Amino acid sequence: MNTMGRLISACLASMLLYALAFGFILDRPLSLGYLRQQIDAKLARAAAIEQPKLVILAGSNGPYSHRCEIIEPILRMPCVNGGVAVGIGLDYLFARWQKALHSGDILYLPMEEAQYVRAHATTEVGPDAAIMLRHDWRTLASLPTARWIAALFSFDLRAALMSPIETALQLVHFHDPRAEVTGATNAWGDHVGHTAELAAVNRATLAAASPYHPSAEQIRTGYGGTLIAAFTRWATAHGVHVIGGLPTEFADAPMPDAELQAIRSVYVANGADFLTLPNFSRYPRSAFFDTAEHLNESWQAVHSKLLAEQLRWHRVPIAAAHPADPAGPPAPRNRPTD
Amino acid sequence: MLFNSPEFVLGFLPLALAGFFLAGRVGGTHWALRWLVAASLFFYGWWNPKFVLLLAGSILANYGCGQQILSLTREGRQLAARRWLIGGVAANLALLGWFKYANFMIQGVLQLHTPELEIFLPLAISFFTFQQIMFLTESRNGSRVDAGLLPYAAFVAFFPHLIAGPIVKPREIMPQLLAANLAVPRATHLTEGMTIFLLGLAKKVVLADTFAHYSDVGFAAAAQGAPLSFIEAWYAAASYALQIYFDFSGYSDMAIGLARMLNVRFPLNFASPYKAANIAEFWRCWHITLSRFLRDHVYIPLGGNRHGEVRRHTNVMTTMLLGGLWHGAAWNFVLWGGLHGLYLVLHARFPLRLPVVATRTLTLLAVIVAWVPFRASGLDATMAMLRGMAGYNGIALPQMIVHAFPPLAAIAKPVPLLPYLGDGRTLSFPEVSVCLLLGWTIVLALPTVHDLSQRTRGWALTSGFAFTVQALFFAPHVMPFLYFQF
Repeated sequence: MNTMGRLISACLASMLLYALAFGFILDRPLSLGYLRQQIDAKLARAAAIEQPKLVILAGSNGPYSHRCEIIEPILRMPCVNGGVAVGIGLDYLFARWQKALHSGDILYLPMEEAQYVRAHATTEVGPDAAIMLRHDWRTLASLPTARWIAALFSFDLRAALMSPIETALQLVHFHDPRAEVTGATNAWGDHVGHTAELAAVNRATLAAASPYHPSAEQIRTGYGGTLIAAFTRWATAHGVHVIGGLPTEFADAPMPDAELQAIRSVYVANGADFLTLPNFSRYPRSAFFDTAEHLNESWQAVHSKLLAEQLRWHRVPIAAAHPADPAGPPAPRNRPTD
Repeated sequence: MLFNSPEFVLGFLPLALAGFFLAGRVGGTHWALRWLVAASLFFYGWWNPKFVLLLAGSILANYGCGQQILSLTREGRQLAARRWLIGGVAANLALLGWFKYANFMIQGVLQLHTPELEIFLPLAISFFTFQQIMFLTESRNGSRVDAGLLPYAAFVAFFPHLIAGPIVKPREIMPQLLAANLAVPRATHLTEGMTIFLLGLAKKVVLADTFAHYSDVGFAAAAQGAPLSFIEAWYAAASYALQIYFDFSGYSDMAIGLARMLNVRFPLNFASPYKAANIAEFWRCWHITLSRFLRDHVYIPLGGNRHGEVRRHTNVMTTMLLGGLWHGAAWNFVLWGGLHGLYLVLHARFPLRLPVVATRTLTLLAVIVAWVPFRASGLDATMAMLRGMAGYNGIALPQMIVHAFPPLAAIAKPVPLLPYLGDGRTLSFPEVSVCLLLGWTIVLALPTVHDLSQRTRGWALTSGFAFTVQALFFAPHVMPFLYFQF
């Protein structure tokens, strides 16, 4: 074989080995396995509920700052906290949740700002790509062909090195210390245990954090925004009551009004409602756990009660069935109650 | 245009190669050179078209000056030739100084409280200025060929080395550009060049960019004044040492590979510098073409080692300080250059008589420590990082590691996770550890791309090509080469 032939053979062999290794052998049972387990558990809870339900869908703002455990009894409606993490492709997330949503459900979307402007290229190689390629070919097949190719090429050097390590750690029953650091997930899909005490180590980070706010134009044209708009249209057309919302954020560094209006129009222009809480989901930095999207547990409860009261007035048909409800939504409290 | 961008790999490079060989076949070397100059200017203009005029103007002015120096030298008018040389070098340095150092001089050195001048640093100006200074000095000592404007323009603007070197001498390259068979495609050169290019690309997009993530996290935390623990600080510094090596040596390999495809042979720029047994050897192996430029055009003209010990050390220190300043108009680069100058002086004054393993380790640690001011955003961040590396903020290890190896509890505090290590996740410690192990194994235990046999290069490509494709076409962000900023 001549030298050029050898060069081409080496390149082809590399591609073949890569495809075989990542398509059939290598896996990351701890990091990606955790995300997969979270998504599957939340979908399983949604599938088990036969009556109309409230689904909260976002990135980690969903489970960290919202608590279905609190919202459910106030709304008298089953609730599933469906969010897991920013970075999981919205197209993947929506494709999975389409099967779990039914007419009469309420879908509340307090999507993080980053979700609206997440680029196409970034979405295609998120952790969901690896999850689909190894464990969920059915969902992958339902997505465009370009997504299949991107899924195959979503594994970098770190994935290759960490796969055997994670597999070995799983085999020796590695003790995951995450619960001690950030808390855990309850049956509703809420994140719990992320207390103000645990947040103490993040105080300096929170104090120094400078939130990035995308422009209204970026929100309008962002790839994530188009996915949210399309999903909103689909859900509305299928009888799901979609309500857009705001993510939690620092009160001292709020998003500009133009951005807020751009986020609102993603929902309203596609047939959905948009709900802003009286405090616009803004809290002092001391109310947060580690980032602007993660309230600590005490304030998660405050925010959830406030949201539940507002949603009760938004959910007209069911609210009417409870004449004991007061005449208007309550004002927000400024301090945690538990 | 970046070498590590799809538009370069799939668009510019195939067109530039095809046009070069086609022009050579139809019109000979002259037309091939014309194509090369046009392609190179297009390559440069892709970044900012208006600076093509600056590059073209600089080439024309230096060519005119060089011709004048050459003819005066040949006529025996040495004094006039010397004046032209001084004038030409001064003009080049003035241009570089204006674009690169004006704000630093006004605000950093003179401490004037005036608004910052709005000066946009032209890409590659540090590199093409040095190339042309070498042309002027070679004109003065008569060691270059008198080949005309076209080969000279092709030499300066030659896209494989235009942006970030290697800094090649005119007498090394111009004779090759004048070869009658320059534009005849040769399968061995194409294959060799393509292999070296692909391996260099892998070093950049697979290895350097991986370590960039780890070092960025640590140095960003230091910039915010975060108390980095011993492991976090050392891992960030060691990651940066690998990042800059893979980034710049990867770039140099790509440049060498590209030139090889075009039947031009560049000198080596890196020769396993981290294996050096002392700091002098390190500088013979790191950015070799810059080191020899500084030796030939700064250290030796200052007197080199010809005027006694004190003068020699002063010359070394001056050369290294200027070398540091060449990398950027900021005090942290001066500090980096000064540290290396100090290392070189100490090495000359007190040569260590220790086993090679010990001197290699010591040299490597000294180099890593010196990278801290080079990478840090300022002196405060440098101090924050050095405090962490000195153990000032304690030694912490993830609980999982301490549970697995209980004796470690005697020296390290078990913590759930290290927040400034990688993504700050539970598994970040094993992830960064295994990546560092791989990186340092490649650097310390394996030969360079140029020392590998053809068969071994094939194996290296087999293990890295798919990851290169992944990083090139599917990684969400293209990271520019570190040396582009210099």
